[in-house]
Amino acid sequence: MTTRIEIDFAPAEGAILRLVGLIERRGFEVVAMDVPPMDRARSASMALSLRARDATRRIETLDAQIRRIHGVSDVRHRAAPAMEAAS
Amino acid sequence: MTAAHAHAANDPRPATGARLVVDALEREGVSVVFGYPGGAIMPVYDALPGSKLTHILVRHEQAAAFAADAWARVTGEVGVCIATSGPGATNLVTGIANAFMDSVPMVAITGQTASHLLGTDAFQETDIFGVTLPIVKHSFIIRDAADIPTVFAEAFALARSGRPGPVLVDLPKDVAQASVPFPAAEPDRASVHPFRPDPETISAAEAMIAQAKKPVLYFGGGVPIAGAEEALRAFFQRTGIPAVATLKALGALPTWWPGYLGMLGMHGTRAANMAVDGCDLLICVGARFDDRATGRLDSFAPRAKVIHIDGDPAEISKLRHADLAMAGDIRAILDALDPDTVGIGDWRAECARNAVRWAMRYDAPGSGVYAPALLKAISEAAGDDFIAACDVGQHQMWVAQHCRFARPQAHLTSGGLGAMGYGVPAGFGAALADPSAKVFVVTGDGSIMMNIQELATIRRYRIPVKIVLLDNSQLGMVRQWQELFYAENFSEVDLSDNPDFAEVARSFGIEAFTLDRRADVPAAVERLMTTSGPILCHVRIDPRENVWPLVPPGKSNAEMMEP
Repeated sequence: MTTRIEIDFAPAEGAILRLVGLIERRGFEVVAMDVPPMDRARSASMALSLRARDATRRIETLDAQIRRIHGVSDVRHRAAPAMEAAS
Repeated sequence: MTAAHAHAANDPRPATGARLVVDALEREGVSVVFGYPGGAIMPVYDALPGSKLTHILVRHEQAAAFAADAWARVTGEVGVCIATSGPGATNLVTGIANAFMDSVPMVAITGQTASHLLGTDAFQETDIFGVTLPIVKHSFIIRDAADIPTVFAEAFALARSGRPGPVLVDLPKDVAQASVPFPAAEPDRASVHPFRPDPETISAAEAMIAQAKKPVLYFGGGVPIAGAEEALRAFFQRTGIPAVATLKALGALPTWWPGYLGMLGMHGTRAANMAVDGCDLLICVGARFDDRATGRLDSFAPRAKVIHIDGDPAEISKLRHADLAMAGDIRAILDALDPDTVGIGDWRAECARNAVRWAMRYDAPGSGVYAPALLKAISEAAGDDFIAACDVGQHQMWVAQHCRFARPQAHLTSGGLGAMGYGVPAGFGAALADPSAKVFVVTGDGSIMMNIQELATIRRYRIPVKIVLLDNSQLGMVRQWQELFYAENFSEVDLSDNPDFAEVARSFGIEAFTLDRRADVPAAVERLMTTSGPILCHVRIDPRENVWPLVPPGKSNAEMMEP
């Protein structure tokens, strides 16, 4: 099962690396990623489809771990349709 | 107004980025920094003389990070370490990871090659920003010297707020050398509003506690981090709920208080582990169900409901489902909780009987030094001012099991990372942080060699730490596991060609002596207590000695091994 997660964040240097790195380290595979063009002066957002690498990984825990990254202003997640993960 | 500002007010010339760094540190109230100079960080070192900062010159950057870590744990303030680019920065990495794993507030400042050389594989260029991404709370590369005051204010606020942690500030050399006007105003600082529990959740928690027949209070490093030890002690006293501690929380409750059952987990007490195994309610405060504490997770507190109280919402239900959770100000939550616990008298009596039944013993046969008894004697002689800065291995567990601790952050240890080499620099960091404390470094013959060069730092600044070096001429914990779990296939654990550690210490200008007979322990303890300066006690112990009890890997905490 994949989960779609949307993250609003301040587009500071290294922000995307920081977010994707955390997601990978915490046991989720990134199967799709959408990053609209960023305006450095404003908040940025990106959407990812994720798949847990094992059954112990909870998206709610990942959500909370992302929220504590400095510069993240909001996180939303929901189950993603199977087709979306393959896109 | 800081010294730099006072100077700037009468000096029309622009400051440099490096001056702003020093000024920013002074604004934050930093008094001591630990570091090692080198090419890219030289502008900052050029700005240090004349400042209010005391710089402690270590002999390896890893020690700067460990010392800053211990300074932060003991003072509750942000520890600061400084290194140059490339190898200087990468040498900080283990110390930064240590601070991250143990939630220690730290600002690590690294020099960097000049901006136009970044990404060209220039001399001593390392992408330390990238290297440390997984092990920092946040990080900055400063691109414009005018941003320095704001970045440092933010870095310190981030390091100390919420769940503390390390923040890296990478400073290209050209930014440090750039001329920039002194900022006229203090930089903005974010205000922090800790979450306070709502009355309904408090009432629900009190109802769960009141219904429990066999509750256990399981507290961890989040308690001292939150400065919540007084709230914890008050809660423990008014409820009488039997309590167990993690490695990082030792001393949050005085270790001799009735009802405190000791450390839980792999090398915990049997009384603590069996109380958790038998409880029907686990009140987890500032702990995170770490694998060393829980053993096999699916058999940890198998009959218990869980109330989880933590400063970090991301820890709630991460590893163990919480039936009721409160994330926020641990002090406020504990102060608000006042449950009825009149029905737990039988449970308290059972836990008390078990604490006596399974108490540690000190009647080891033979005439050699029995390390647990030695460590117990030292901690009792040192009293309430005792601080132990441990390395990692058997000695670390003996300290946790046998020493008397009266206050939190008196047991300084690399808990999450388990980094050998922590002890000596942590010891002098702690001694500088609290000169009134009786600071003992407890180390092993494996660990001390990881940062033995720091004896020079101790000597240079005449820092009065007492080093107790337990020498079994082996990597003792690895040997113990090879004996017990690898069919006695002893592989690469022999250290019998160690140097004479007492002679080594003397060569650094530190008083030293060797202890190898049990009968000489009282005199050795007395000498350690009465020596005013640094001293090393080299203790030869039985290489076959193991740490007991022990939960085997993959087993439940209820399945403890005994000798």
